[in-house]
Amino acid sequence: MNIFINGEKFRVHENINLINILKDNNLNTKNIVIEINKVIITRDHWENMKINENDSIEIITAVGGG
Amino acid sequence: MGFFLNNNTYESRLIIGSGKYKNFQETKDVLVASGAEIITVAIKRTNIGQDFNQKNLLDFIDPNEYKILPNTAGCFSSEDAIRISLIARELLGDNLIKLEVLQDQETLLPNESETLIAAKELVNLGFSIMVYTTDNVSLAKELETIGCVSVMPLASPIGSGKGIIDSSNIKKIIHNANVPIIVDAGIGTASDATIAMELGCDAVLLNSAIAMSKKPILMAEAMKHAVISGRKAYEAKRMRISEIAIPSSNKKDVLS
Repeated sequence: MNIFINGEKFRVHENINLINILKDNNLNTKNIVIEINKVIITRDHWENMKINENDSIEIITAVGGG
Repeated sequence: MGFFLNNNTYESRLIIGSGKYKNFQETKDVLVASGAEIITVAIKRTNIGQDFNQKNLLDFIDPNEYKILPNTAGCFSSEDAIRISLIARELLGDNLIKLEVLQDQETLLPNESETLIAAKELVNLGFSIMVYTTDNVSLAKELETIGCVSVMPLASPIGSGKGIIDSSNIKKIIHNANVPIIVDAGIGTASDATIAMELGCDAVLLNSAIAMSKKPILMAEAMKHAVISGRKAYEAKRMRISEIAIPSSNKKDVLS
């Protein structure tokens, strides 16, 4: 199925959950916040958060800014 | 000499932004040189293709040592600003936010109506808001009245380095205020920061003036002293301006 991570299209297998996506993309999970379809998913829900077709996942952090 | 903001006292009246630096180490070095205790950060997408061990800005700036102030930079609607504020709170575990809702990409001027809508909603959501705004005197008061913990009028457009365009408006905002007034955006060099402080601002927030200078660390030091100097001059109360020359020594002691 297709999903979007930070606006980019990705093809992933069915029944994947959020934590697999983070691991598959080799993402350092320190200092990030995750939204799925504009809803914040708190860290304690990452493990069991199922991902559905066309979900839009945003992985967000702090960057330089004034 | 310090100023009181959202239940905390800060010794330094200089707040710096963390944008446009060569790397995180330079950001940290500038922060140390500036003496600032508060540093702003933006909330943006992470780079998903990055090396697992690649450092994050927050690895360089210790939240136990510095106050990290997230902003809603890049938001052009109240809806987006509220969304970013909620993400920032989740990321940093703090209600303090620098609210910034802009009109358009070209001018980067504050959108007054959307700023007001976002501020009201964020107050209801329990945020402590430092709000970036125009030098509109009545709007500044309204933002204070709805519960913003600091009002931050611009000196001139973001990144312009033009200094304070209308000091009379800034003075009126300060005169009417019961919360800290912090000039934010448009400071170009040390004397601009000094002027802001001489007007009676509680603090100055700047980014490009340091980051875009040829020697950021040196400019950070200059800004540190400029803000201290401006504040001392404000507290000392400057002499009256005279239309005529007045000699410094007594006329009767002049040799004849």
